[in-house]
Amino acid sequence: MPPCWKCQAAVAPEDLSCPSCRALQPEVPGADLFAAFGLARGYDVDPEDLERRYRERSRLLHPDRFARATPRERRLSLERTTRLNDAFRTLREPRPRAVYLLKLLGCDPVAEARTSHDPEFLEEQLEIREELALARAGGDSAALERIAARARGRLLALEAEVARLFAEADPGQDSLIDIARLLARARYHENVVAEAAPRPATT
Amino acid sequence: MRRAIGIDLGTTNSLVAYVDDNNRPQVVPTDEGRPLLPSAVHYAMEGGVEVGASARRRAPERPVDTILSVKRFMGRGPGDIRPEDRGIYHFDETGSTVKLAVNHGKRSVSAVEVSAEILRALKRRAREHLGEAPGGCVITVPAYFDDAQRQATKDAGRLAGLEVLRLVNEPTAAALAYGLDRRSQGIFAVYDLGGGTFDISLLRLEGGVFEVLSTGGDTHLGGDDFDRVLADELVAVHGLDPTPAALRGAVAAAQRVREALTEQESAEAELELPGGRRVPIRFTRAELEARILPVVERTTGPCRQALRDAGLDGRGVDGVVLVGGATRTPLVRRHVREIFGQEPLTDLDPDTVVALGAAVQADALERGGREDMLLLDVIPLSLGVEMMGGVVEKIVLRNSTIPASATQQFTTYADGQTGMVVHVVQGERELARDGRSLARFTLKGIPPLPAGIARVEITYAVDADGILSVSAKELTTGIEQRIQVKPTYGLSEEEVERMLVESIEHAGEDVAERFLVEWRIEGERIISSLESAFALDGELLSAVERAAIEKRIEGLREAMKTMDYLAVKAWIESVDGASKEFAERRMNKHIGRAMAGHSVDEFAGQARPPQED
Repeated sequence: MPPCWKCQAAVAPEDLSCPSCRALQPEVPGADLFAAFGLARGYDVDPEDLERRYRERSRLLHPDRFARATPRERRLSLERTTRLNDAFRTLREPRPRAVYLLKLLGCDPVAEARTSHDPEFLEEQLEIREELALARAGGDSAALERIAARARGRLLALEAEVARLFAEADPGQDSLIDIARLLARARYHENVVAEAAPRPATT
Repeated sequence: MRRAIGIDLGTTNSLVAYVDDNNRPQVVPTDEGRPLLPSAVHYAMEGGVEVGASARRRAPERPVDTILSVKRFMGRGPGDIRPEDRGIYHFDETGSTVKLAVNHGKRSVSAVEVSAEILRALKRRAREHLGEAPGGCVITVPAYFDDAQRQATKDAGRLAGLEVLRLVNEPTAAALAYGLDRRSQGIFAVYDLGGGTFDISLLRLEGGVFEVLSTGGDTHLGGDDFDRVLADELVAVHGLDPTPAALRGAVAAAQRVREALTEQESAEAELELPGGRRVPIRFTRAELEARILPVVERTTGPCRQALRDAGLDGRGVDGVVLVGGATRTPLVRRHVREIFGQEPLTDLDPDTVVALGAAVQADALERGGREDMLLLDVIPLSLGVEMMGGVVEKIVLRNSTIPASATQQFTTYADGQTGMVVHVVQGERELARDGRSLARFTLKGIPPLPAGIARVEITYAVDADGILSVSAKELTTGIEQRIQVKPTYGLSEEEVERMLVESIEHAGEDVAERFLVEWRIEGERIISSLESAFALDGELLSAVERAAIEKRIEGLREAMKTMDYLAVKAWIESVDGASKEFAERRMNKHIGRAMAGHSVDEFAGQARPPQED
């Protein structure tokens, strides 16, 4: 860890500002998005804790605190707050968090999903889509709600499975590929929910 | 420390506020003792400029030379102005920016220049009231303003010699004034129906953090539309030719009637016809409401969308704040009650609440932040890039907390393609031609490879003012281009310069101050770019050479603390001179890299995503 850019005092990786001169410090090079919250890399994130950390750190880093600071501190504040916001957007919802974590672990979820062909799953999806089209054409709101509820149930089950796989002491390459496939399936269910009960995604 | 000011630059009225010694935001009495300065600018035939109530009084007699509601033209280009907004004005669309032709075409002024006149007047009143030149300022903008409109607002501030510390969204400012006042917690809706724009924002207030959850609105919807509906009817009923003067007279009469109907069940006014004849007109509140209902109902959609975006329904809202003069209309209040299922809060004056909030934020910025308060605002419209076929790929999604950034990879669509057009678009529409075009540039120097192999990474970064910069990088060569998005119809640096020179004649007092601001900004820019150059290419300098540059930077820093703009300018030149050699070495280094491996003729094509799905 290089010393403080301003006063050359020693700075620890978790220090947002220099313990001696208070100057804002740059992000540790190569740090992941979890580090933006002072968290270790991992799927298991407590949403309330994440939000608390987000607010705490926003208070310390936000450009509004540095409007009259030196250009260098203004730039650092902008960079670090941008990163914090991006990290919060990525990590607060389970599925984007899982996708990001997969990439960190060297597994490309998009590529994995493309190579996986699961005829049974696709067959089922085609049926669901047909059901959906019928319900929409007929304006059958009870049927739409039933379809949405079923898809939401599937999503919750997938989420639990993803959490279980990540929680394995050291998810091996096979588990990662399984997770990628689960996430690809989740997208189908998400689309069904969105079309059956139109409500924009929260991410 | 000088006192910071907050400015509400409104469509119909503008005002300025500051935070007093007791930490209370106060509005500066500006126009003829009233807090509201009509956003009216009159260009006199003999060359002078009038702003405010006196300018507005000129409107009936010289409508084309008196610009009202100029905010509707901010950040707009030729062909970009809605027919209903063109009204009576004469436009000069020969250049890249829209201008209004006044004084029989002898003078043409841009929306930025007209707005700068209003800002200059506000600044002058603030100085008179405070007894000293104000410090930095916050200017509010509708949350729904796009990048071009924000840029235009910042340009206007700069042109008026103001140091714009931040642009803040109007509803957010209102929530700030409200929330701090009541120490509230929970989720608040801010319903802002001004003269010309409608905004709806949902915010969560918790422990002093003001977090915008979602925002929506319509930049062409407001109280002016109420008046226009009535005025059109008056013109038709009285069989008038729709001349500028007749329309102006009708709008003025409509406005008087509408305002009176806020308190009364029926109201009368006089309609002044061209030629001076006056006819009485009479409306009941029910008649008014029947006519404006369709306009009021246009606010419903954006409200419902904002609620959905925040994952709420109307009942999840703890309070509804009203902003903007048009929310005094009883029908609007009933409508708000219906949407949100509760009585709106009305204990703060809807005309001043935005300026008060802006003053609070300006004061906080000037002090380096307040412990008990933090604003987390969002970007109102998605930012994307045009793909092959004219489809928009969104890169930063609307309602993302700012500052924000996002990166996406694209690839070439033709074999041997060495350039890629990056067309930056804002808006929710799927096709680029339906969105707002912000900028277009070409990334050159992509190595000639088969289609779909090259990887171009495009990064969008939105700063705390909601203003975008874009960079594009070719990943195999590392060739990079960065641009600060200057809206296609925005002002070039030269145009700003020219306007500044032109404005000197009637703003002599502001010149030295403006130059100081400008040179300080320039100084900061130079120091900051040298610092990053040291970090990147420090090896190109010996220790002695670097120390020589650093010594001059120190001198520049000292000069920037003084009020002497000439000294700042001199030090900038000195730093420039000392670092010239360094700049040349850097250029050689980077050009050498960029030129490596170029032989095929460059041709540019649009981007497309790498194969996916």
